[in-house]
Parts: sequence; structure tokens; C-alpha cells
Amino acid sequence: MEIVWTLLYMLVFPGFLFLTTYGMICEWVDRKLYARFQSRLGPPWFQPEADFIKLLSKEEIIPEAANPVMFRLLPLFALASVLTAFLYLPIWNTAAIYSFSGDLIVVFYLLTIPTLTFFLAGWHSTSLFATLGSVRNVTQLFAYEVPLLISLLGPALLSGSWSLSEMNQFFVERPILLLVNIIGFFVALIAVQGKLERVPFDIPEAETEIVAGSFTEFSGKLLGIFRLAIDLELVVAATLISVVFLGGSFGLHPVLGFILFIVKTLLIVAILALFRTVMARIRIEQMMKFCWRYLAPISLFQLLINILVKAWFL
Amino acid sequence: MLEKVVKWARVKSPWVLHFNTGACNACDIEILAALAPRFDLERFGVQLKGTPRHADVILCSGPVTRQIKDRLVRIYEQMPEPKFIVAVGTCACSGGVFDGCYNVEGGIDSTIPVAAYIPGCPARPEAIIDGVVKLLEKIDQPEKFQEPEQPVMIGGANLDGQ
Ligand code: SF4
Repeated sequence: MEIVWTLLYMLVFPGFLFLTTYGMICEWVDRKLYARFQSRLGPPWFQPEADFIKLLSKEEIIPEAANPVMFRLLPLFALASVLTAFLYLPIWNTAAIYSFSGDLIVVFYLLTIPTLTFFLAGWHSTSLFATLGSVRNVTQLFAYEVPLLISLLGPALLSGSWSLSEMNQFFVERPILLLVNIIGFFVALIAVQGKLERVPFDIPEAETEIVAGSFTEFSGKLLGIFRLAIDLELVVAATLISVVFLGGSFGLHPVLGFILFIVKTLLIVAILALFRTVMARIRIEQMMKFCWRYLAPISLFQLLINILVKAWFL
Repeated sequence: MLEKVVKWARVKSPWVLHFNTGACNACDIEILAALAPRFDLERFGVQLKGTPRHADVILCSGPVTRQIKDRLVRIYEQMPEPKFIVAVGTCACSGGVFDGCYNVEGGIDSTIPVAAYIPGCPARPEAIIDGVVKLLEKIDQPEKFQEPEQPVMIGGANLDGQ
């Protein structure tokens, strides 16, 4: 019986099936909002599905100079790591399906794996544009990763736990403490924008400079799976932020909690879409400067606030 | 059933690559205008892609010059199947004003097979959208777009002019 439930969790809800559907909905919301902000009509609701099915049905070309095994495996690695990360996040109540002390760090590193697969994908396709894109991928990783991790550590420090479920439980009991983390929330939003490689941090796939970055040589199914993995990464990142900074489901009835989950993730997607609309791409060294000179100190400042609050009030 | 779904997806999500084969640049500006917010091709699912590996449709503008010919063939071969070429502008359809130049091969169809022709000098964004939508209809229902075997008579005269 146990194994049936495990399979159900992994494949249907909240695993593969639910997550892919929701990821595509989020992609549509993002694109539609982006279009509406530019006063366009925007794509119809089935656009991400149509794109995905079309990509699955297309021929896949593997360049002669590329490594075919890596080329085929890397998209699956990206997809698997984000799917695994989602199982550790509390969704409809404060307890995740699987949780142990320290799963915050595990989720964080599972979210890093897609970036590494993008790097390897570009590197293994041996095309000039792809290599350049993949090098930018890793360079960018060093810029946003530190502020993101420090800003996630703030709430963890406050609640005295490294487990997402326990953290969520802590903040549900003391919702007023969520206000302490408000700076960290914005730092995390900006850093996540870098992690998802969206404007203004879409430097690795800058189509005006380096064609399509790491994915230049990818086509058909492989590209489709990569795009799906990016969609899922958006959902997982939005859920992570909503759990850590917005109190997740607030410990309500599961149905209400689930609605709250949808509302919060969509809100975060909308904020990210707004970022994307109002800004233009910056250069890689500008991003490094911005992240290390402003974002990292601000997140350290947040950490300091949290330490003081914990020392005096808890 | 599966075939129907695939065809539906193909019609709903054509990703285009813009390729200038030697146009005077007016057609390129019109293509970009069609993709920009005012005409908003994304409502038909059209997205501009940077690489031929991601694209389904190439929008070619301009006559094929001798110099670009090899590159055009190479780009065409880099695209995964199924792929469609749209010739945008009179030059791309037939060579236009450049036909017969020492450095010009002719229209796009002198080099690679073309699925849809959009005439106009330059082709207006509305015409480009119309052409792309007709191409999608053609992919959807190929039987509706049979090529006539006999030359079509216009105005009642036959070929001898009688
Ligand atoms: S059709 Fe006219 S506008 Fe277009 S490339 Fe030819 S000459 Fe230029």
C-alpha cells in the first residue's frame, strides 16, 4: 500500500502530472501578463501545451561534434531534479510529503542542478554560441546564488530550523514575524529572477548576442523537456518563496490552503512578470557588480536584523 | 487521434526565424513590425527564434544572391523537420526588381522549396500575417489548397489571347 501512495505522490499529485499542468499554467500567466503589460493581446491559454506537443513531435537533431549520451540525458536530469525538489515543499498544509531536518538546503541545491545541466548542455553541444552561453550560465550562478541562500537563511535562523515544514509551522504560529523578513523577500525575488534566467538577467540566452545561449543546438523533444524543466523551476521557486516568506498555506483547511498556495504562487509569478516587463537586459559584469555590491550586503543586513530580533524577542 | 493532436499543436505554435537573403531591408522592417506589439503575432502562437534548430518556419525576405545561396541552404538543412519556408516580398517570390542581375539567382524557390508566397514591395504586416495564417490553414487542411493543374484563366481570355 505504501508504495502505491508513494507512486501516486510522485506521478500524480503533487508530482509529475500536477506540476507539469500547473507549470504550463504559470508559463501562460507569465506570458499573458507580459503581453498585457505591453498592451498586446497575448497568447491563448493553450499556448504552452501546444508548444510542448509540437516540440515533442519535431525531429531531434544531435550535432556530430556533440556527445550524444550527454545530449539526451541532460534534459531529463534537469526535469528530475526540479520534480524531486517539489516533493519537499509544503503545499496544502504546513507539512511537506517528505521532510527531514535540513531539506531547505537540499531543495536549494536541487534547484541549482538545472543551471548546471544548462551549462553542461551548452558545453557538450560544442557550438560557439552554446559554449559562450553556458559559460555565462555559470558566471551568473556565482552572482545570484549567495544572496539567495543568505536571504533564505534569515527565516531559517529566526525559526531555528533547517526544515521547510518546521519553518512553515513556526511562521504560521507567529505570523507577525513574517514582517521581519520583508527585505529578504525582495532580495529572494530578485535573485530568483536571476536563477530563472529571465529579463533583466537573461544574459545566458541573450538572443540579440548569442543566438539562444546553451540551447542553441537543441531541437525537438530535448528542447521541449528543457523548456518544461524551466517552467517547473518557476513553480518550485515561487512555492519556495511563498513557503519561506509568505507563510505558505497558513495551516488552514487543506482545500483553503491549496487555494492560498495557488494565489500566492500566481502573485509571485505576476511580480516576476512585472520585473521582466519594466527592465531591459544588463551586461554580465553589471549583474556581478549588482549582486555582490548591493544584493549580498542587503541580505546580510537582513540576517543581522533576524539575529537581533531573535536575541531580543524570542 | 494522436496525429490530430500533433497537427493541432503544429498549427497553433509556429516559431519563426527571420532570414534576410538579400532584401533591400524594407521587407525586414515590415516583418519586425508584424512581430512587434502593434500587430502582436504572439496571439497566433508565433514566436521569433534566434536559431534554426528551434524554428518551424523561415521568413525569407529578398532575392537569393549568389553569396547567400550556400548559407540559405545550410540554414535550411539545420532546421528539424517538418519545416516551412515563407517568401516575404516580391523579390523573395520571383526576384522582383533584382531579377536578372549578375549576382542574383532569382526567387527563394530557385534554391529551396517554398510553402507560401507573400507578394508586396514591401509586403505589409497585414499581408505577412495573412500569409502566415494561410500557411497554417494549408498545414491544417492540405486538400483545400490543391495547386491548379491548368493555368487559371482570368477575364475570359484563353492562352492564345482569343
Ligand atoms: S520586395 Fe521590395 S521592399 Fe522587399 S526586398 Fe524586394 S525591393 Fe525591397
